[in-house]
Amino acid sequence: MGNKGTRWLDSLIWIAGIAVYLFLTIPVLVIILSAFSPTDYPQFPPTDFSVRWFTEVFQSEQWMQSLWSSTLVMIIVTPLTVLLGTMSSYALARLSFPGKGLIQSFIMSPLMIPQVVLGVALLYLFSSLGLFGSTLGLIIGHIVICFPYVVRTVSVSITNLDSRLELASMNLGSTPWQTFYRVTLPLIKPGIIAGAVFAAVTSFGEISVSLFVSTPETITIPVRTFGYIDQTFDPSVNAIAVIFIALSVIALVIIEKTIGLSKVM
Amino acid sequence: MKATRQKKFYGVLLAPTLIFLGIFLLLPLIQLLILSFQQVDNFFEVIDGYTFSHYIEVLTTPVYLKTIWQTLFVAVITTVICLVLAYPAAYLLVRSPKRWRAFFYILLVSPLLTSVVIRTFAWIILLAQNGLVNDVLMKTSIIDEPLDMLWNMNAVIIAYVQVMLPFAVLPIATAMSDIKGNLRSASMILGSNRISTFFRVTLPLTIPGMISGAMIVFSLAAGSYITPLLVGGRMQPLLPLSIYQQIMQVYNLPLAAAMAFTLMVLVFLVIAVLGYILKKWEVRVNG
Repeated sequence: MGNKGTRWLDSLIWIAGIAVYLFLTIPVLVIILSAFSPTDYPQFPPTDFSVRWFTEVFQSEQWMQSLWSSTLVMIIVTPLTVLLGTMSSYALARLSFPGKGLIQSFIMSPLMIPQVVLGVALLYLFSSLGLFGSTLGLIIGHIVICFPYVVRTVSVSITNLDSRLELASMNLGSTPWQTFYRVTLPLIKPGIIAGAVFAAVTSFGEISVSLFVSTPETITIPVRTFGYIDQTFDPSVNAIAVIFIALSVIALVIIEKTIGLSKVM
Repeated sequence: MKATRQKKFYGVLLAPTLIFLGIFLLLPLIQLLILSFQQVDNFFEVIDGYTFSHYIEVLTTPVYLKTIWQTLFVAVITTVICLVLAYPAAYLLVRSPKRWRAFFYILLVSPLLTSVVIRTFAWIILLAQNGLVNDVLMKTSIIDEPLDMLWNMNAVIIAYVQVMLPFAVLPIATAMSDIKGNLRSASMILGSNRISTFFRVTLPLTIPGMISGAMIVFSLAAGSYITPLLVGGRMQPLLPLSIYQQIMQVYNLPLAAAMAFTLMVLVFLVIAVLGYILKKWEVRVNG
């Protein structure tokens, strides 16, 4: 009796849901379509297949220089953020003191502070410290941005950890450091790896702060991409976009294999 | 003895983070706050003396007031659309068979891992005069002349919704999957149909997920400037864009700082209100 109505409702929800997922996927499909299209603007249905934008990117000195800047920053930012993030999430999970909630909100705040505000604030600080336009400035900015992501994934792992294992280790005479290194660290490794992946991907794609604090010498890939879209509309941006998508696919696989995609938020 | 040694160890682990974020997060914000009260000369050079004039300018000039309203409006619209679209998406994620679920998760998380520049770029390809949507519409003779879909607020909102939707779907899905199946069965056995079960059981229990999603989407939509710059153009009345222009083109840093703090206070106020509602709601539902 009520079945008919239910089935009707079910199909409606499914159609709506699938439409939403299509909407989410469109940009990725569009980018892939246009990256392999020979014309400046892609056509649908595609007329021809070409890899000319990829060739152009890899032959361009500017793109290669930006690729190097981005990679360098990412390689330095990721381990530092993971180190800071892991140490602090572990300490905060095990400590209880008045004002702990405040500290927690503070270290997660880069997620909530409007990105334009963070960019301006760091621009001003770096100008007064003489770090404006330096790679070091970029690195610092990226660590601030990436930090909450590491804290989030590592905290998930720590919450799932049985703290009696640590107690047992300490009762057997280990120092806190030995316990952390031999018991805790191996157990929270998945969270740390997922955090590292998040930090790396976020750093590589970061634009809001980078745009404020970089100069032509330290331009990263997203900042250069922004410039090309904003001013000249160079279709080789298409090829760059595919590189980003490929990276995110790799990141997806690693996150799924470590903490699982469902634990991301 | 042991307890203090442990505490010391945890303190040592926490200290580097606090020092780092103190210098590179707290200090710059304090500097910016001070800057927003500093006087400028006619060339916008900072001079001695403090003033409220930048805040007065931001909060009384009609242009800036309109900008503030528009910023809040766009952020609210984006949040509402995201929540409405997130619901069926979260439903599919939670209720679909396992193999499908992994696929939906990939579609949801992959945008979070792709640079916002790239995702916005895709909307330019789609919506431009000679872009894909116009191409398809013209070829199928639905329209004769290309539509102007780029460089307006609609384009900004469409791109925002696409960029931020996963942030709304994921918390709602988590809340939904926490609902025990027998709660819904109980409601149905007691004679409710699916629609009233939805409104009396499922919806109230997913409100916390919706609120946490709304907090993130709202703060992102109110504070981004990259997406509006690229698909909306430089002239859209949005506060983050005004800040960007004051810094990059006008060089009036104290005014930009005052705008930045106005923006931040507005965002935090909205988040605080949402957080308050969340707390009240959880008390009401869980007792």
